[in-house]
Formats: sequence, C-alpha cells, structure tokens
Amino acid sequence: MTEIAVSVSGLTAAAADGRLLLADGDLEARRGQVTALTGPSGAGKTTLLRALAGLLPPGTSRTAGQVRVLGHDVLTLPDRDLRELRRHRLGYVGQDPGSALNPRMRVRRLIREVAVRRGDDPVARLLAEVRLPTDEGLEHRRPGGLSGGQQRRVALARALARDPEVLLLDEPTAGLDPALRDEIAALLRDLAGHRGLAVVMTCHDRALVERIADHAVALRPARTTATATVRARTAKPSSRTPSDTAALLAVRGLTATIGRRDVLHGVDFTVARGGSTGLIGASGCGKTTLVRCAVGLHSRSGGSVELDGVPLGPSVHDRSREQRRRVQLVPQDPLGALNPARTVGATIGRPLLLHRRATRAEVSDRVAELLGQVGLPADLAARHPGELSGGQRQRVSIARALAADPDVLICDEVTSALDEDTAETVLDLLMRLRERRGLALVLISHDLRVVARRTEHVVALADGRVTDTGPTGEIIARHRH
Amino acid sequence: MSDRVRVALRTAPALLLVTVAVAGPWLAPHPIDAPVTAPYGTPGGDALLGGDQLGRDVLSRVLCGGRDLIVTSLLIAVLVTGIAALLGAVGAVRPAVGRVVERAADVLMLLPAVLGILLITLSWPDGGRPAIVGVAVVFGVPYAVRFVAGAAAPVAASGYVEAATAGGERLGHLVVREVLPNLRATLLALFGLRFVAAVYLVATTGFLQVGPQPPAADWALMIRENTAGILLNPWAVLAPSLAIGLLAISVNLAAEALVPRTGPRAVVPQ
Repeated sequence: MTEIAVSVSGLTAAAADGRLLLADGDLEARRGQVTALTGPSGAGKTTLLRALAGLLPPGTSRTAGQVRVLGHDVLTLPDRDLRELRRHRLGYVGQDPGSALNPRMRVRRLIREVAVRRGDDPVARLLAEVRLPTDEGLEHRRPGGLSGGQQRRVALARALARDPEVLLLDEPTAGLDPALRDEIAALLRDLAGHRGLAVVMTCHDRALVERIADHAVALRPARTTATATVRARTAKPSSRTPSDTAALLAVRGLTATIGRRDVLHGVDFTVARGGSTGLIGASGCGKTTLVRCAVGLHSRSGGSVELDGVPLGPSVHDRSREQRRRVQLVPQDPLGALNPARTVGATIGRPLLLHRRATRAEVSDRVAELLGQVGLPADLAARHPGELSGGQRQRVSIARALAADPDVLICDEVTSALDEDTAETVLDLLMRLRERRGLALVLISHDLRVVARRTEHVVALADGRVTDTGPTGEIIARHRH
Repeated sequence: MSDRVRVALRTAPALLLVTVAVAGPWLAPHPIDAPVTAPYGTPGGDALLGGDQLGRDVLSRVLCGGRDLIVTSLLIAVLVTGIAALLGAVGAVRPAVGRVVERAADVLMLLPAVLGILLITLSWPDGGRPAIVGVAVVFGVPYAVRFVAGAAAPVAASGYVEAATAGGERLGHLVVREVLPNLRATLLALFGLRFVAAVYLVATTGFLQVGPQPPAADWALMIRENTAGILLNPWAVLAPSLAIGLLAISVNLAAEALVPRTGPRAVVPQ
C-alpha cells in the first residue's frame, strides 16, 4: 500500500505580475500515509496544495516543474478529465472552508449532494466520522448557523463523502480546540491507515505534525517576505494609565439568538482598562457571537454592553463613530474580512484618515509602519487580498484594526492561520502595544495555551454560558485537575 | 498583454460604430434632405444603398441617423445603471431602505413602458428627447434595482463590509468603496442589457414618431418611412435595421470584455 499517489518535482508558480509564489517545490505522497506541508506564512503551502487539485488561482501559472496526481499531470489535464478526477478521486478542503459552503443549503443537503454511497444514511455516518453531534439537529442548520470549527468539519465531511483516494487539506485543524484537534488527527491517521488514502495537509502546528505525519515537507518562502521590524509606535501615550483598572468594556447578562436557536444565555464579561482577558471555550460555544454582540455586528436579544460606563446601542448603527473606533474586532475569517477590490494599502490607510490618525500625506508612511509592526514588508501595500496567503491576510486584518487606534482590541482566533513563529511575533506585538498604550486586549481561543501566558483574566464559555471565570493562573490550575 | 489585446478587439466594433455614427454627418456623401435618385431607387452609381421614398441617399441618411439614437440610448443606460446601482447597494447595506425600494420597484414594474410613452406623448407632446429619457429611466430603474439588489446582498453580508461598518464608515463609503467595486462584472452586464432595452425603447418612440420628426434622418424613422417600398429597395429598411442590431450586439460584446477575468471579483474564488 505504499504506491506513490502524488509527486511534485521542482514546481515553481508565479502570479500574473511575475511574483514567485512557490519556488522549486518538491513533494511525494504515498497511499496509506499522511504527508504534512510545513513552512512559514507565505511559503507557498496553499499554492502547492491548490496545484495538486489543479486549481491554481486565476492569473497564477506554473513556470517550471512537474505535478503528477494519481498518474495524471493535473495542470495540463483537459477540463473534463480534471473534473472527473476531482469528483471521484480527490478531496480538497480549503483554508477557509466556510466560504466554500453554499450559504443557502442545509448541512444535510450539503453532504448528501456529494455522497457516493447512497445506500445507508451517509449524513449521520459522516457527521459522526468528523465528530459532529448527530442528535442536536445540526444537519438541519445552514452554514451561517455553524461556528467556524463546525464549518470546517462539515467541509471535511463533504470531502470524505466522495470516497476520495487523495485527500488535500489546508490547515485542517485551525480553529479547533485541542480535544477536537486530536480526534480529527486520529481520524486522518485512521483514513490513511485503514482506507489507504493519501492524505496531504498543510499545518503550522509542529506537535501535531510530529504526531500524525509520516513525512513532513518544509517549504521556504520564494523570497524573504517577512522582515519583522517592530518599530516603536509614534502615537502619543494615552492619558489614561494602565494602572486604572476600572472596567472599560462591560457586557452584562447578554443573550443572543441565531435564527431561532439561543446561543448565549446571560453572559457577563468585563475587560479592564489596559487589561488582557482571555475568552476560551470549545468550538461552537458562542465565543464569536459574544464579541460580535459587543461590537454591535450581531443584535442581542437582551442584556447590555457598556464602554466606559456609557451604554452602547445594540447595533453598530446606533453607535457614534468614536464609539466604534474605540472597540475594534479582528475577525476569525481572514479571507472574507478584506475587500477583494481594494489594495492592502487602501484598506489599512482608510481608518487612519477616517479617524484622523494621520494626514493624507502621512498615510503611506503610517501604512508601511503598521505593516512593519505586524511583520509584513511595506511593498505588500500595493497588493490585493487575493494575492496574499492566509497568514498575511490575518496580519493585514490586525494592522487595519490597529490603524483605528482602539482602546479595546478583540482578536478572534487571530493565530489560527499563522505558523507558530509568526503567531508568537504577532501576540508579542499585541502585548507590547498593550503595555505602551494601555490597549485592552481580548484574546479568543479554543486553546488555553495561547491565552495562558498573555492574559490576566480568563472567562470560560460552554454552550452559551460562563462556566468559569477568574485570574488566569487559577483557571489553568483548575483545568489541570 | 494578450488580455489587453483581447479587450481591445472586443471593444473595437462598438467604438467603430459609435465613432461612425457620431462623425456620420461629415462622412455622408450627400445631403440628407435632397433627392439624388428616383423614389426607392435601386443601389448603384451615385447612391451605394439606393434611394428612399423621396429618392434621398439611404447611405447618407444611415450615416447621419444614428447619432441621436446612440447618444440617447447611452444616456438612458448610464442613468438607469447608475441609479439602480446606488439604490440597490444602499438597499443591501440598509435593509430597511432596501425593503421600501424593492416594494416601490414591484409596483412600478407592473406598468408597461409603452403605456408611459403614450402618456407622455399625450400630456407633453413637445417633450422630445428629454421626455423619452425621463420615461425610459423611470420604467427601467425598477427592473435594474431588483437585479443589483440581488447581486449586492451577499457582498453586503461579507466580512469586509462588516469590518468597515464596525470601523465607523458611513453609508456613502460602504456603498461606493466597499460594495460597488465588487459588483463591477454585474454592473457591466446590466449596462449592456439596459443599453439594448434603451435602443429598443428609443427606436419604438422613433417608429411612433414621438421623438424625431421628418425630414430628420433617424434609423427608426427610416424603417417606418420606407416599409412601403421594401420590395423596391430593401436596403432602405434593411440598412437602418442592421445598424440597430449591430449596435446592440457590439455594445454588449464590449461590456462583457471589460469584465475583469482575474483579480478583484464579487465571488471569492475558493
């Protein structure tokens, strides 16, 4: 069972403007084995994976090298044969599976649509296989009613429904809590071991790669893009001192629904001035809905949100521009959060002008500075989001939030699309900004480890209720037992 | 660069046709109001496409007769697409406004455009071009709004519009900078469709003699005037008919070519 299913040699791919996306990529994946692609953000992991599916992004072309998947050169295969290959023999799950699910279809139809074995009930079997509950009516929801982690697993179930021979996964465990991650990892091992699939996945979690992958292929960036020059911010220090620990943002008794389903049941949540608060909980427990209510993007059905003691309106439209500026959210989905029609420079520059944080002449310098702060080169400003990797988009999204010069920065799983080194750099940057400017931070994660070292206070959510709250040290101690 | 060549090739017919129609009066070999052949004279000699019902040169009249039609139709298409784009995008970003706009569109859609034309001719007989443009815009916008609103809804629900809203952006910025640039393909297709509809409407008014009056040269008017002699000199009817048809096709071809194939699009490739 160790037949070679996928082989790539010397693959070089370039964007329409000649920029190298992937230089000299080599990869060999065998049936019955898990092959992991590792490498820093922007190294071309996604480009290589998409090349395997014959799905290079528009405008991108192969300039050198060979790609053979199940005996076919997928990049020159006629459309008809490529469709046939993708329909029956390849499974591909992108980095942002939520946007690949038709928002109008319910989970049940999404899975049934692609299932090949129609005899038994494929929906229940596949949902159980990806560790989604089968008794909570989840199969009757639409993608909008699922959390990020659940969407990812539905997309995986769709890929498995085709009974593929090769499974291509882009960051399959991003946004999943440790228990789920281990279960999905076990599932992937099992698929490779028992069903003889060739699994190729990109992953930035080294521990996971070591545990489940038979081979790891490390990619290096085509040219060194990330020069992490973290410079001092020129903004004047805030008049408030970090020692002032009165609650800056206070959420009280918050309830919210998605459709007719209650997702939050009276949640209390406070963020101290200049403090750092962690929000943890399993996939689907309402973390994202909670912060969306806090910034006014999701309407609450009860409770209140106060900023500096002033009640905030339930919808973002009821809030003043200044109120909106002071609480910034970095959303979970890095692909959808950036306008595909605007350049990175325009996206980051806009809040600077809007909130009068820079004059028109200063904008390009400030944009370059902000890009430098999140470890991106200044020439990225001329690109469109479609030309960036997932990790780069995530950092642009952070830079945009910082450009507004907020008092509270809410980061929803910001490190899920970043490799470990970049994630550390970004989190350390947030920590420094917090110290220097009295920026209050909210870090949302399914992973207690991410928030452990960087927060003073942790709120644990489960099924829309606060189950535990207190100083980080105590919570960690309690969760160990 | 092959992309640019492709766009140039596909926009060339429309540009050529519009240029010829606009420059027609200078290119015409004969005056449009003096007979050069016998009535319905056959093609040949001095008159390449023969003569019309009064023996005037058909070629000269075709060259001169398109300018008004094209300019009016383009104006209507631009106005309808522009107004619909704004209303549709505003409606998508502000659902409360959207509901009002769509209900109003539903009601207006029930009235046929021809009824509007008849109404305007009765109540404002000297209205001429402005009246036609007004009627065409009022009756064209409702359809177009529904079209744009449908395309704008998913864009308005996207993460970047939410991020901009949460960042404190006002309605104008959301509509003009965030939503509309991502609808470029849809709006160009809409423009092509509305142009064809406008040509149809303007030609109909010409045929009904609401717009240009004889002896003016006008493609639609020429078709009406010369139908009686279609067997004697078919070119007197065929030439302006072909011109109208080619105009509609070439403008749609150009609009389609201008849709970006790569880079920013409304649909996120995944």
